[in-house]
Amino acid sequence: MLNITTNNKIKRVLFIGAGSNDFGREAEHDAAIYQVMPELRGHGVEVFLIDENPYALSLESLAATVFWQPLTVENLKKVVHDNNIDTVAPLFGGKSSLRLWAEVVQSWVHGDGPVPNTLGLTIDMLLKVNNIPALTSLMSDNGLPVINNYVLKAQDEANELLRELQLPLMVRALHPNQTNTRHVVDRLDDFEDAIHLAKLQSITQEVIISRAINGLKEVSLEVLRDFRGNKMQIGASEDMDPIGIHTADSLSVSPILTIQDQLISQMRDYAFRIADLLQLQGVMHVQFAVDDDTHKIYIIKVSPYIDQMATRMSLATGYPTMLVAINLAMGVALEDIVLPHNFGNNTAMMEPMMDHVVVKLPVFPFGELAEAGVQVNRQLNSVQKSIGTTLGFGRTFIEALEKAIRSAHFNNASFSPTNMAHINDDELIQQLIHPQDNRVLLLIEAIKRGYEIDELAELTAIDEFYFHQLQHLHKLEEEIESDIDSIRSLRRGKKYGLSDGLLARFWHTDFNIIRTLAKENDINVTYKAVEPSAGEFPENARQYYATYESENESIQINEASVLVIGSGAFRMGDAASGSYATAIAMSELRRLQYPTIIMNNNPSDATLLPHLADKQYLEPLEISDVMRVVELENPKIIVIPGNRRKLIKALRDLGQQVMVLPKEKHTPNGPNENQSEFALNIFYDGQKIYPINLTQHMAGEIRIVPQVAELLHSISQSRIDNPGVYQIIWYQDTIHWLKNVDSSDIGHNSWLRPMPFGQIAYMTKVMQIPWIRLTVRAALNELSKQDIEMLTTVNQLPIVHQLSMVAADVNYQLHLQPSNVIDGTRFEIGVGVNYYER
Amino acid sequence: MMQRHLILEDGTVFQGLGFGAPATTFGEIIFHTAMTGYQEIITDPIYDGQMIVFAMPVIGAAGIHAEAYESVKPTISGMIVHDLAEVSVNRQRRMNLDRFLKQHNIPGLYQVDTRQLIRHLRETGPQKASIVDYADEHAIDQLVATVLTNKQVQNTATPKPYANPGRGRHIVVIDFGLKHGILRMLGDYDANVSVLPYTTTVEEVLTLDPDGIILSTGPGDPRTLPESVLTLIRVLQSKVPMLGIGLGHELFALANDAELMPLSSEHHGMNHPIQEIISRQIFYAMQGQGYAVDANSINRKKLFVTYRDLVDGAVQGLRHREFPAFSVQFFPDAAPGPLEATTVFADFFETVEDYVEHYNQ
Repeated sequence: MLNITTNNKIKRVLFIGAGSNDFGREAEHDAAIYQVMPELRGHGVEVFLIDENPYALSLESLAATVFWQPLTVENLKKVVHDNNIDTVAPLFGGKSSLRLWAEVVQSWVHGDGPVPNTLGLTIDMLLKVNNIPALTSLMSDNGLPVINNYVLKAQDEANELLRELQLPLMVRALHPNQTNTRHVVDRLDDFEDAIHLAKLQSITQEVIISRAINGLKEVSLEVLRDFRGNKMQIGASEDMDPIGIHTADSLSVSPILTIQDQLISQMRDYAFRIADLLQLQGVMHVQFAVDDDTHKIYIIKVSPYIDQMATRMSLATGYPTMLVAINLAMGVALEDIVLPHNFGNNTAMMEPMMDHVVVKLPVFPFGELAEAGVQVNRQLNSVQKSIGTTLGFGRTFIEALEKAIRSAHFNNASFSPTNMAHINDDELIQQLIHPQDNRVLLLIEAIKRGYEIDELAELTAIDEFYFHQLQHLHKLEEEIESDIDSIRSLRRGKKYGLSDGLLARFWHTDFNIIRTLAKENDINVTYKAVEPSAGEFPENARQYYATYESENESIQINEASVLVIGSGAFRMGDAASGSYATAIAMSELRRLQYPTIIMNNNPSDATLLPHLADKQYLEPLEISDVMRVVELENPKIIVIPGNRRKLIKALRDLGQQVMVLPKEKHTPNGPNENQSEFALNIFYDGQKIYPINLTQHMAGEIRIVPQVAELLHSISQSRIDNPGVYQIIWYQDTIHWLKNVDSSDIGHNSWLRPMPFGQIAYMTKVMQIPWIRLTVRAALNELSKQDIEMLTTVNQLPIVHQLSMVAADVNYQLHLQPSNVIDGTRFEIGVGVNYYER
Repeated sequence: MMQRHLILEDGTVFQGLGFGAPATTFGEIIFHTAMTGYQEIITDPIYDGQMIVFAMPVIGAAGIHAEAYESVKPTISGMIVHDLAEVSVNRQRRMNLDRFLKQHNIPGLYQVDTRQLIRHLRETGPQKASIVDYADEHAIDQLVATVLTNKQVQNTATPKPYANPGRGRHIVVIDFGLKHGILRMLGDYDANVSVLPYTTTVEEVLTLDPDGIILSTGPGDPRTLPESVLTLIRVLQSKVPMLGIGLGHELFALANDAELMPLSSEHHGMNHPIQEIISRQIFYAMQGQGYAVDANSINRKKLFVTYRDLVDGAVQGLRHREFPAFSVQFFPDAAPGPLEATTVFADFFETVEDYVEHYNQ
């Protein structure tokens, strides 16, 4: 890398972070930025970063000068000026960064000096990418098959247009003030309302109308292009669910299984032509609508930046997308890219091939919300409702599906064979036509009830292949159920990815019995590498998934390894903070030179960054999955989030040494509108408790109380199991930010809990003290003398940043249409920061 | 489905379930990494007599399509996959991959640990293999004793001339085991096509007064073909624009004194970067080759290298210094495979137009 001449005009590069987590914005951008910043330093470039998200890992990177500030045009401009930034890199922060940077460019005035370059795109193309009609006409003018958009201001224009266009129509806002404004209009009666709503969602009160293409197949391709115009395809997936259901809410499958080569080659050609039109230097995700019967293809979305498809494909294929992307942006030609030595010589320029199937399942927040008494609109449509994703890896579609379901639902209760029995036939048909989050279970139920495959394919617009597969699964389950304790059935069940837990359910026994039975009969798990050559070349692979085949490729990496159990899909109330905490813990383990292994299944999670672990298992996180990895790796220590109580107990029972990252099962309710929640924050190093500070939490905002925290009452250490950051919580009826807290009440109406990961992230950044790292060090008896000295006086230290943590402005109304207000503390999706003196 | 076995010459046995025909067959086993186009691949005559292992884990889910035949009758000797899907898109018959192979008496084996098999084959290189019911010593002895045919071109190439008429330029295709993709591409140019057997003579070709000649793709080792083929090429290349593809490229090289060498590991797939040397542009194409032109053997006064594979360095294209004749090792007909390779046909027709114009003046 160091010897390659890159664009020498690039000296000071500013990354723009993605900001708060939101629907469709998990940790993928933060992870990408964290990964590429050190790479850029390798090019001899000075690196800067601005982001507001307290959960951002990259804000704690040593590779960059960071600015933890609200992401506003003013702040961005100031950072650019003050630091003589010559180049800005918005593509890694995704769409929101791109939009913010475009705003800055548009508001640039003569006196501001020269506009910094945009890494990977010209200014002209940057502005086009941010303007859907301009981008659409660029493609249309160049003979690419797009769906024509009509931009309207007035209702009467819309009515006129309605005569020319056929229903269904897609209505959305031009220059939207929020992420997703798409509405599909199926009936004339809904047309006016949709236009009205979209107008409100537009900064300029303008509306875009186009033909809706519901029912066609949705396909995504990931391609890249270098400055010479060389292009490559680095991933592809098809959605099982047809267009009309947001791709994030769809079950997606890689590689593409049901579409013939000619159509895929055609789409690839279109994607390449778009990359050329944009003169892109980087990676791009293009979404298509495909009609199998007529061979018609439409380009529906072009995203020339890092998004969830980019991270998902990188994980699914083993292709190092982010490392390649930063090289392309810097002007390194595809054939000159040098990768770290664990990759093959030619990996960067070989199109990745797959010899496994990856199923992506969305995770919806409906269950948690329903438990809290909040009803939401569960019907899937073109507005995203899911908040997390999981991947299942397998050698067949069924195996990958089973593993994705287990990853998404965490236990097999929600995939119980009798789950859908209560639903009547009318409801079943209604839900087949208007799908909800339980889509897959419903399809299986329909098959159980004997619906014909062509009938189902017609009703749902899902390819017949998937019904054949589900039918196969149904038969398999029936056979297993009626063939109790049969080794043959056990073998077949394991081969198709059925978990020990599910098999135990069928046979009315315990998962441990199944485990033992499998062991006794030599039904052994085999781990296969995820590497981009599909077996053609030896690669020094680090990613593995489990299957039941003949050859196992994974061997124990070290006798003293640490196995880290990830937290799986993002959920409400947890959000990206779990990813942050686990990733930092891994980074600390690496610094302490422990060989680390991670198990996780969330493609947007920072824990799956390639350089944070020596080995990755892309697996569900049930006890049986964890146990199989433990048996093979025999780790010295297992690091595990504190909410996995059953797993912790099971591992301890088996004599494993477990290191718990203290965590509550649910974030409790926050204070109500007339209250403040106060916390006395403490650190426990396994022997002693150190007071840290006091915080006040009020209506979605947390601040540090400017007062030295003292331990007035002794806290019984027996109440604390593991080293970590804890808090003693009490409530007071006040709606003012207090400068002084009367802590004499502590000990009466108060209780102790582990500090939520989100607050730990905030405290780490505000105080510039690495709390997760200290927790890891304490647990491993690695605290240094300086650490102890610091902890002893930590309550005297000044606050570095005068910033409060605030709940992000998430548009629940648009995404979920909840029946009542969603408690932003308990169901937090994202957070940002604000200045105290606001 | 019945339990069957794949046995290899080196004694390795893989267990799986049979599909397609219950026949026992012998053939050279190779692996293919392409993730699309299984129907085109198994019907491509270049795989005559071979057994194909697919790295793609699920095969059959796109059905069997009328427009995806590369020959009407597939002649592979077997197909080994991990998972088999039963999908039909045929309006008249419920034709899925399983039935398709049954109809053509070709055995298949699925639920095989194909990744293990491929990792094995990448070390051993291609070898003889057989799909059998019982994997006993007798079967392996029989396999070792079996001599595989080297008459693949004779098996697949047309014995009689035929036409595929059009209203454009007259192109003679010399058939060594032609795949339909070439005819489809020529159809895109509305070419008036005459397909001739490889036993044709200079006299017969020139009597047809072609505007261009294509040496088709085909199976096997080109060195097993009669010397007359090379003579035919030597004479025709000096008279009419010529494009050699795949086996046609290898023959074009041999006719111009270059030598072939077997690849250490056969390459069948579409993910290798191929570079056009003059422009440094990289593109991808369907490739299927067990041999490559030995770059050191090329007589630089006659030929120069136009394309190469950036992964194994193999020569992927040649051009004659004196005559309007060139050739590519990869398959530019994109059936299956990336469309970017089809520019080779555009180059060919440009050469043809120059030739016609030259004569008209």
